[in-house]
Amino acid sequence: MAQAPKLFAAANHRSPAFSRGRAVGSPDVRLATSTPTRFESLILPHVDDAYTLARYLMRDSHDAEDATQEAMLKALRHVDQCRTDNARPWLFAIIRNTCHSLLRRRGTTAAEVSFDETLHSHEGEAGQPDAILIRTADRESVHTALAALPLVYREVIVLRELQGLSYKEIAEVADVPIGTVMSRLGRARERLEFLLGGAAGKEGRG
Amino acid sequence: MICDEIRVRLDAWVDDELPPAEMAEFDAHVGQCANCRTLQERRLALRDVLARELPKFEAPQSLRRDLEEAAHRAASGSMRATRKPGAWWALAVAASLAIVATGSWQLATTRANGEMLTQTVLESHVRSLIGEHLTDVVSSDLHTVKPWFNGRLDFSPPVYDFAGRGYPLLGGRLEYVGERKVAALVYGRRKHVINVFLWPADAGMALGPQAATRHGYHLLHWNGADFTYWVVSDLGTTELQEFAGLLEDADSAAAAPATSQ
Repeated sequence: MAQAPKLFAAANHRSPAFSRGRAVGSPDVRLATSTPTRFESLILPHVDDAYTLARYLMRDSHDAEDATQEAMLKALRHVDQCRTDNARPWLFAIIRNTCHSLLRRRGTTAAEVSFDETLHSHEGEAGQPDAILIRTADRESVHTALAALPLVYREVIVLRELQGLSYKEIAEVADVPIGTVMSRLGRARERLEFLLGGAAGKEGRG
Repeated sequence: MICDEIRVRLDAWVDDELPPAEMAEFDAHVGQCANCRTLQERRLALRDVLARELPKFEAPQSLRRDLEEAAHRAASGSMRATRKPGAWWALAVAASLAIVATGSWQLATTRANGEMLTQTVLESHVRSLIGEHLTDVVSSDLHTVKPWFNGRLDFSPPVYDFAGRGYPLLGGRLEYVGERKVAALVYGRRKHVINVFLWPADAGMALGPQAATRHGYHLLHWNGADFTYWVVSDLGTTELQEFAGLLEDADSAAAAPATSQ
């Protein structure tokens, strides 16, 4: 019934379509001796950004330092897999995964995941958030609001608003489709607007 | 109507991630719609306050020094690696074993995932033929079919009419492949139905054989510059290849002048 081989040969003319984008395992620097150079030129300049991401994900400077160290050493070992045109997203993905597994090991994320699903159901309560209140919020309330977001929402906010990544890059970092990036950003921002815009109120529930 | 669309795509809009035509359409709309303007203003206020109040941090100096040292150690370490031939040998053997192991594991999972996609696509095709749900939008006019997907998908699928070449457009519908909403376009060839499934090439799910035949149906699969394609039909393989060629040519013709992003 299945006669797949018939068609295989004919499909070869398609290869030009693959040529744009994704360079497969760019073979430019492969020698072991030049690898650290590559690390120093490609990865190390982003150490502040990497640490910043870890800091917002871990919510603690010591944990952030540990996570950054672990992730950067991982990046050093695998630097030959990094494409020159996307070093930052590549490094962020490692930071993100390291933070996730550190938090998971401590059992910090489990509670957040279940919280995820209830996050979008606050509409209609206590009126609409106010743009002027949002705009004039102070640093402390912004940090409190961000820290209250579940990890997957916090990370899209930091990747977009602080690091300026495109949806495509965020999708790569968080390993989800672009549509998911968009919906997570939407929910995260809605939540922040409610927290900062006076609508979620200081009713102090939960 | 457009308000609904804005609600769904509000973030893509304020982030400038929509196609220019939609950006312009939304921009024009907020001039006249107070509700949508409020939504936009909140997003912009949030962006401003985050930019102002979320600082970037500097990595601790000690961390930076550690990393520089590690980099140098790695450099000199790899040059001294031949010092102990015994250990080096064992390491090399272990490493190559590990490479073979991960290699075949990756190959196996890649094949399994590709096979799963092949099955899913095939089942969607068969389902579309036995029910009455072949099309959500019935039209041979690409300017009816293409806009129908607006707001229903997070991408705008390329739609063509090859009626002149004997492959008329019949319509389109939404499908799920895995957990992703994808576009299904329906083309005809005499009495045969061709289902074209497509989604953005960067959405993962790029696996699968380039061609396969299952239960008498032929499947073709390729990853274009922007979209991943699956084409399924009971049509003969020669004609199906020709049809796939038309799609690809139309895609590259459409992509050539734009070079966006």
